[in-house]
Amino acid sequence: MSASPLPDPTLEITRPFFEGAARRELRIPRCRACGVLVWYPRPRCPACDADALAWNTLSGRGTVFSFAVVRRALWKPFADRVPYATGLVALEEDRDVRLVTTFVHCSPEELAIDQPVRAVFEPLRFGDGPEVVVPLFAPLA
Amino acid sequence: MAEMTGPDADWGSARELDDVSHRVAIVGVGEADHTRASGRSADAIALQAVERALQDCGLEPADVDGLMTSGGLDDQLTAEQFHAHFGTRHDLWISGEGGGMAWAATAPYRAAQALAGGDANVVINTFAVAWASQRDAMRGGPGEFHAREPFKAQLELPFGWFPQPVYFATIARRHMHEYGTSPHHLGAIAVACRRHANSHPGAVMRNKPLTLDEYLARPMLVDPLRVEDCCLISDGGAAYVMTCPERARDLRKPPVWVSGIGEGRSEAGTYWSQQRNFTSTPQVFSAPAAFRMAGIEPEDVDVLTLYDPFTIVALMQIEDMGFCPKGEGGSFVVGDHLHFDGGGLPFNTHGGLLSHAYVLGISHVVEVVRQLRGEAACQVAGARVGVYGGYTGHLASTLVLEGDA
Repeated sequence: MSASPLPDPTLEITRPFFEGAARRELRIPRCRACGVLVWYPRPRCPACDADALAWNTLSGRGTVFSFAVVRRALWKPFADRVPYATGLVALEEDRDVRLVTTFVHCSPEELAIDQPVRAVFEPLRFGDGPEVVVPLFAPLA
Repeated sequence: MAEMTGPDADWGSARELDDVSHRVAIVGVGEADHTRASGRSADAIALQAVERALQDCGLEPADVDGLMTSGGLDDQLTAEQFHAHFGTRHDLWISGEGGGMAWAATAPYRAAQALAGGDANVVINTFAVAWASQRDAMRGGPGEFHAREPFKAQLELPFGWFPQPVYFATIARRHMHEYGTSPHHLGAIAVACRRHANSHPGAVMRNKPLTLDEYLARPMLVDPLRVEDCCLISDGGAAYVMTCPERARDLRKPPVWVSGIGEGRSEAGTYWSQQRNFTSTPQVFSAPAAFRMAGIEPEDVDVLTLYDPFTIVALMQIEDMGFCPKGEGGSFVVGDHLHFDGGGLPFNTHGGLLSHAYVLGISHVVEVVRQLRGEAACQVAGARVGVYGGYTGHLASTLVLEGDA
């Protein structure tokens, strides 16, 4: 298991996602034929089978779908971050599209399912390693 | 409330299976020693289980001409190791569609095909892990498979959504939100498993009692899950021997008949984050198919063992298999309803992955066989029909067994 879970922003399957995050944009692929958001990225639309996916910039708003509060270190790279809340955001444009995220700018106790949240773009870094900007989510208010 | 779901929901499907009811019997079972870190290797553990399974039915190693293991793990028992250990050299039919997890339920389906096709006459299915020993060396174990997956590496791990306790704490919180499930409900499952393990001589937690009050007083590991909601990490394994009906009747113990098998899958694969129906398992698809093949209804089941990596996984499967309506699992499991002597639905009467051993479901099948022979440690009086439900991420499976009439 790799020591650092830093994503590789150059990996083709998710490159536009991380390029977008570096510009403070939340980008998700959308099918140009039928319009549905496609997540996780894949070569063809699972709804209509078209191979015409384009990365769209979304609002960055959503609601908390569910979350877990990690209270004891289970995994070394995140050992110094406990307690932290991690889970899923349902996106405003399509609530069936769920993004895995870390919830920030609030204590885990303040978080609730269905609460409105917005993307914030922050550098992610483990130890002395390099940084990658990623979308995290914070309470909307 | 959640949107309505059911067998017709489009988030997964059942595999089409031929009717193999009463075409194959389980005639011998054996378990290796289940322990914390022991320094043993997985193949040595498997061989101990195989020896005990053969002793159980009175067959010799030379009688075994089919070996099933988990093709997805690279350290499972090989034909070469079998022969080296037992001093045999005959041909062995080999299948990687066996082992533990979901395959502990579906291995008899592949075995029935092999028996019918003349590929083998006596098939042994075995599974073993040394993950407790390997944990110290930081290799193997349940998390490694997921960490290597590219979308998880890019879109899940960087956000701390890893490993499995985090997935299932997230699912548990959503289930609580949708259906009012509470820590008391999850605790009832942990307590039932622990009580059964306390009476099972081979259980890792045989000497560690747990009351509901003690459970509720324990700290959160990954809120809303406590350590007691999570399976053990163990060294251990088991094996079971299968053969055709004619041969099954002539062996040492009464045969246990395979009467129904099902398999269901989620279209989201092992991306739990993307599973359309977040608080269900593919038992929604698997269990009805297995029950149909067996000609039974959920209320006919005398004893149930379920793959229980986390309490919430057992709760969801109980609902998804139709033992109670979806969302009512919490009130179904409270009190002693799951206890072997509670008069309800005896569940994981050996202690399960939570309290018996984390040997990934193969001992769940062994326990059902023992129940249907009347030789279990926590024996359910008059048990005739037993079910094992397997669950491995995108797959769920169901094995219906019947005692010899």
